[in-house]
Amino acid sequence: MSIESPAKNWLHAPTGTERAWIGLALLWCIVLTLAMPYWHFKGKQNSTGEAYTVEPTRFADRVQQFVDSNKVGEVNGTPIAEPPPGGDAYLQAQMWRFYPVLQFKKGQTYRLHISSLDIQHGFAVLPINMNFQVLPGYDHVLTITPTMAGEFPILCNEFCGIGHHQMTGRIIVTE
Amino acid sequence: MTKEEKSGDLIEKESEHRGDGLHHAPGTFTLTLILLVSFVVYYFANWKALADVWHVR
Amino acid sequence: MTTLDPTVEGALPETEAAGRGNHPPGTFRVCATTGLTVDLAAEKFIKINAVFAVVFLLLGGIAALLLALTRWSAVHLLNAEWYYRMTTFHGLNMLILWILFMEIGILYFAATALLKSRLASVKAGWAGFACMAVGAIMLDAVILAGKADVMMTSYVPLRAHPTFYLAIILVAVGTLIGVINFLATVYIAKRDKTYSGSVPLVVFGAITAAIIAVSTLLHGAGIMIPTFLWSIDVIDHVDPAAYRLVWWGLGHQSQQVNVAAMVSVWYLLGTLTVGAKVLNQGVSRTAFLLYILFINLASAHHLLVDPGVSAGWKIWNTSYAMYLAVLASMIHGYTVPAAVEVALRKQGHTKGLFGWLGAAPWKNPGFSGFFLSLLIFGFIGGITGVTLGTEQINIIAHNTLRIPGHFHATVVGGTSLAFMALAYYVVPLIFRREFPLRWMCRAQPYVFAAGIVLMSLGMSFAGSYGVSRRSWDVEASGALHPVSYDPSVHVWLGVLGIGGSLAFVGLLMFVVPTVLAVFFGKRVEAKMPAW
Ligand code: HEM
Ligand SMILES: [Cu+2]
Ligand SMILES: [Cu+2]
Repeated sequence: MSIESPAKNWLHAPTGTERAWIGLALLWCIVLTLAMPYWHFKGKQNSTGEAYTVEPTRFADRVQQFVDSNKVGEVNGTPIAEPPPGGDAYLQAQMWRFYPVLQFKKGQTYRLHISSLDIQHGFAVLPINMNFQVLPGYDHVLTITPTMAGEFPILCNEFCGIGHHQMTGRIIVTE
Repeated sequence: MTKEEKSGDLIEKESEHRGDGLHHAPGTFTLTLILLVSFVVYYFANWKALADVWHVR
Repeated sequence: MTTLDPTVEGALPETEAAGRGNHPPGTFRVCATTGLTVDLAAEKFIKINAVFAVVFLLLGGIAALLLALTRWSAVHLLNAEWYYRMTTFHGLNMLILWILFMEIGILYFAATALLKSRLASVKAGWAGFACMAVGAIMLDAVILAGKADVMMTSYVPLRAHPTFYLAIILVAVGTLIGVINFLATVYIAKRDKTYSGSVPLVVFGAITAAIIAVSTLLHGAGIMIPTFLWSIDVIDHVDPAAYRLVWWGLGHQSQQVNVAAMVSVWYLLGTLTVGAKVLNQGVSRTAFLLYILFINLASAHHLLVDPGVSAGWKIWNTSYAMYLAVLASMIHGYTVPAAVEVALRKQGHTKGLFGWLGAAPWKNPGFSGFFLSLLIFGFIGGITGVTLGTEQINIIAHNTLRIPGHFHATVVGGTSLAFMALAYYVVPLIFRREFPLRWMCRAQPYVFAAGIVLMSLGMSFAGSYGVSRRSWDVEASGALHPVSYDPSVHVWLGVLGIGGSLAFVGLLMFVVPTVLAVFFGKRVEAKMPAW
């Protein structure tokens, strides 16, 4: 009974199917444990959390500098900025927009800096569904390589007030 | 697996704490195996889905 | 099925076990059904905590229906403001208030009835309850007043009215007092030798929950007190990354409290409904111990795509530590149904692999609720949770609807359903009232389980196409840059809406008979009527 004190000397090794199940479960937990370090070294998708503290106003300055020197066009009144392959790109999150629109080349790698000017936001790339957290005061650096061309909406996925669901942006990936 | 003995309360209480193979639960074991298989399938399907997105570090 | 029911004569043994322990005369009664000694003071607290719990379940449930009908894109019921307000309201009423009031009741029951002890302190019982109740009412008031549309996580620097943080602190302090009162009761029971040998397994599980709860609540204080001070401008900055780290020490660990409490309830209901015996005390207790030893670090799985925490830290803290807690759950996932199987086989249901399962008392909502809870928790909640909490896989899951899809299978289909199943015994045994509408009670676990499973599937599939949680408008209409999804998303959001509505019906089918029983039910004079 689970509601009575057990008889003395209740500590015994498991036997039979119980023992077999514990063995299998343990084995599976070991697989789960090894999968992550394995992917860290061999896989292409990792969240390393690379970040630097930054004053929001300083970050806004850097974004503006980046836009001024890399602007290639405009869409819906938002500038499009295309960094050189291998270069740094900046994305600013604030209530309730992303700035600017980014343009990348397929297969090239960029250092994408994301931070917030006000409260916490999220960075979700649709429809491929990649998600990262964006915090004020932290410059979150994603070393990112788009592997397909097209237009990709970005969406804030951390609640950030009444306009949250309208906080969108765009990444354009060219061949 | 030993067949459960028809026994008085006292022995039943003894065996309750012994865990010495007196218990026989093949149905549960089958259920947990189904669980494990679903787990493995779902888990690796997710790794597969992850492998398809952009590269990021 | 009635022969399997321990409420029938003979199935529950040991009237001599119902000794008087350390109860002063006149402060206890002996339960005619189970033979347990029920401390009258503890009984009062169990009752008021259960009543409060059900009230908050109903409030949270009404909000749940509104949310489900809003996320169902074809219905889109609430406006944006009320959707966000109700999300905050629902999360806190359910996850914090319904669950915590219920858990304090369970702890008081385990320490007094199962250890044959009096409650350590009646005053502390009142103090804890008063803090919780006042905090809870303040919390709901400030949310409904529109002063705290910040979600239950209240990530800084998003700011709520100071009352919001104060209310949460009050609830946490009240809970902490209750938990300490429980631990003190366990201590005096040991000191007064009210039981011999080791504590019963259910108490062991409750102690596990209580120990984790202390750690949980200390993390809560550690983050909510500075945040409260920040909200009244006493300190000028709370670091958002540090907030997330410590807050999840509260948010995640409290889920482990829920798991430990739920597993204890599974063991308890296994015994009450089919007379299941623990197969191997050592195994089950070791599994509980793993929860205590290896859980805190797993709060890392909420920070897997955060800036500022390294990959090494994330991997270490999710795998090494978490997977031993996963092992623990996988062990209970075997030992609990195995105990049921062995008990039913002993009663003669030995046909084939699953003859015992077919012969189980499926018309007893205490049993069906418990067993469905076990299945939903294991097959949906557990599998999705471990997968989504894998460091890299979290990239394709974080903050999407996959997350609520997961936890509605753990804390709702699992914990909440187990607590409902428990109520089918608490009301006749503690309130000593008979349930009216017994057909409704018998059907309730199935309706609720089906609704939650559907909703969870809808959420999970919509989320895997990238649909965000906590978002009022999936289409982002009016946004500067349009978004678009796979069209099947709307089908899955429909499944969410239909499943959620069905779950709400299941919730009412629980609340209505329970309230009728507690306030108008026929008095249980001797033994509780068998289910
Ligand atoms: C009838 C039963 C229920 C239904 C229909 C339901 C439905 C929902 C829906 C639609 C959401 C919103 C998802 C979103 O838009 O992000 C939600 C969120 C949530 N639910 Fe439930 N729910 C139910 C029961 C419960 C219970 C019993 C609990 C806890 C014990 C719970 C805990 C939560 C939490 C913590 C959230 C997240 C709130 C947030 O994002 O801050 N739910 N639920
Ligand atoms: Cu945002
Ligand atoms: Cu967690």
